[in-house]
Amino acid sequence: MKKKLALGMAIITALSLTACGGNSGSNGTTAAPGNTEAAEAGASAGGSNNLIVSWWGNQTRNERTQEALDLYSEQNPEVTFDGQFAEWADYWNKLATSSAGHSLPDVVQMDYKYLKQYVDNNLLVDLTPYIEDGTIDVSNVSENMLNSGKVGDGIYAISLGINAPALLYNKTLLDENGITVKDNMTMDEFMDLSREIYEKTGYKTNVAYNNGDNFIEYTVRSEGKVLFEEGKLGVDSADQLLPFFQIYEIGMNEGWHVDPSIFAERTIGSVEQEPLVYGSTPANMSWCAFYYSNQLTAMQKAAPEGMEIGMTTWPSDDPVVSNYLKPSQFFSITVDSKNPAEAAKVLDFFTNSEDCNNILLAERGVPISSLVAEAIAPKLDDMDQEVIRYINEVVTPNSSTLNPPAPDSSSEVYDLIDKLEEKLCYGEIDAAQAANELFEGGNKIMSGN
Amino acid sequence: MKNNKAFSLKRWLNKESSAGVVFTLPFSVGFLLFMIVPMGISLYYSFCDYDILSPPVFQGVKNYVKMFTDDPTFYKSLKVTFYFALVSVPLRLIFALLVAMILQKTTKATGFYRAAYYLPSIIGGSVAVSILWKRMFASDGIVNTLLGFIGISTSFAWLGNKHTAIWTLIILAVWQFGSSMLIFLSSLKQIPTSLYEAANVDGANKFRQFFNITLPLLTPTIFFNLVMQMINGFLAFTQCFIITQGKPMNSTLFYTVYMYQQSFEFYNTGYGAALAWVMLLIIGLMTLFLFATKKFWVYDGGF
Repeated sequence: MKKKLALGMAIITALSLTACGGNSGSNGTTAAPGNTEAAEAGASAGGSNNLIVSWWGNQTRNERTQEALDLYSEQNPEVTFDGQFAEWADYWNKLATSSAGHSLPDVVQMDYKYLKQYVDNNLLVDLTPYIEDGTIDVSNVSENMLNSGKVGDGIYAISLGINAPALLYNKTLLDENGITVKDNMTMDEFMDLSREIYEKTGYKTNVAYNNGDNFIEYTVRSEGKVLFEEGKLGVDSADQLLPFFQIYEIGMNEGWHVDPSIFAERTIGSVEQEPLVYGSTPANMSWCAFYYSNQLTAMQKAAPEGMEIGMTTWPSDDPVVSNYLKPSQFFSITVDSKNPAEAAKVLDFFTNSEDCNNILLAERGVPISSLVAEAIAPKLDDMDQEVIRYINEVVTPNSSTLNPPAPDSSSEVYDLIDKLEEKLCYGEIDAAQAANELFEGGNKIMSGN
Repeated sequence: MKNNKAFSLKRWLNKESSAGVVFTLPFSVGFLLFMIVPMGISLYYSFCDYDILSPPVFQGVKNYVKMFTDDPTFYKSLKVTFYFALVSVPLRLIFALLVAMILQKTTKATGFYRAAYYLPSIIGGSVAVSILWKRMFASDGIVNTLLGFIGISTSFAWLGNKHTAIWTLIILAVWQFGSSMLIFLSSLKQIPTSLYEAANVDGANKFRQFFNITLPLLTPTIFFNLVMQMINGFLAFTQCFIITQGKPMNSTLFYTVYMYQQSFEFYNTGYGAALAWVMLLIIGLMTLFLFATKKFWVYDGGF
């Protein structure tokens, strides 16, 4: 009996030792598993006619993209694809580790936020030669959209769809209470509306809590500034950051902003858990959500039965200056690609092929080629038609050029913004302190010290 | 010549010491490749400015200087981690000992109960349990519902309050007392019953018996559990990463999660590596400290 116990104890000891060993292993370098994975991906590439295409996104996107790639293989039997997809956060981890192992996929879906960083590190191929020799046909693409993929003198990314900031709201609730929403609200009008809705219905407002990277940029734009410049923040003083924080201060004081504690239980940025569509009482729900136009469909799908989602612009004191059209995401070719010429043809296929876009159906935003956009329009459902109308009639006439892509340290600044917002909403600091801390802290991060 | 070589290989293989080398090969190769080499690389990175995307640039001890002189979040996360480890580990050990004492008596159901109490230790560190925990402590979760049954109707957001959020993580850690419990259980069984019989004859009550016989004889086991659990406590990651992400206001930001954020969210991977090495140093010092105190309270004599 004693022997058995001793054996049992030995096993447990061994178990706990390995458990702790495993932990300290990941403590050392967590990058290791990513590296091997990347190496595998590189090895599986094999012949240069097998292209690896990777993207992030939802289930609909995964299915449609895979189908579009299959169609390309059907038309060009010598080319095969290996489609890889992941969730947003995992995607960027995987991409970063593959870049360290020089085994990036041939074609990667790129976000505006990371574009500059990847170009600065020489990881993407300049597409200008392919555009000049006609491999990628951009004759039906607007100058602005094409330039959104430009860093320095080269074009490093081709947009997959047009997007615009969109305030998604509970249309059913507002209609029932006889409240109307107009496009291009000013900040004061937006706050008045939030107050009115709170008084009449009890529903609160979520001003992109801890997901406000783009909204602070938007408010800073209304003052004719950009958030980031090279090595510093683009604003001259803390005062220019103040209006953003004031919305939270006023909202919390007057009670119409949702309580920050509800977000402890949710995944911020997840459409399904957005207070607009998810919650038990009006007190933990919001009448609106700060999103982008291509997310209307996803939000409507996540909404409970009988809730119709409407769409308008984000509030701004100067909507024409603030608002912009944005590439929802790009495709880029990486320097690790063994066959960039074929990859360029794939980019052309996604941009100009009607057949391809008949499969994709504007899931990544309105197609950038005006011909293709027109051709697929009749096949789209009401929701997507509404998105096109919104882009063409509401935003296009009232918008200006997009800001340049954010520089390297921006993710750390965004984290600081979230932290300050959190402190502000928990009542630890006031709006003026938050603006000051962001101005000082943000500049410090940007200067690299 | 060839024959001769083959012969010597065979002879080498037949030596007892070479058998040892061969049999430990699966471990030692893995240990070298996946532990020692990556650790060496991370030590190098900790002296570099490295963002994964571009090659590392050596910059001396800058990361370490920044950590100690210019990073409030470093101190904050250290404080949270110490608080978590120093509160949850003793609580867990007390709990483990208590349950072990109860399960010491062998009846028909003991086997079942031992397994049942051990279960949380197996699954407790998993993502699924973390998500379950998050739901339990939600404002409309089961904890508040149960409180409602006993007359305290509330929709308190346990995870959204900076004073209570850390306690949800501590309770989760205490709940995983199984492995310590099993070790206690086997040590309890090794205490000779003759000691208790003698104590009974002398008229010592149960409390005296516990404090004068059980506890002193358990001190080596307590010491072992304390060291092992302390190390685990400092390295806790999953619970915080899944349940709170350090929120609200960094009140639950574990050191390991901060390290992850620096390495893979802000791409300050060199800095993250430096953080890892400081943690290694801290754990080493803590363990050394515990060993230094050993002679004051651990009973090493025979029964």
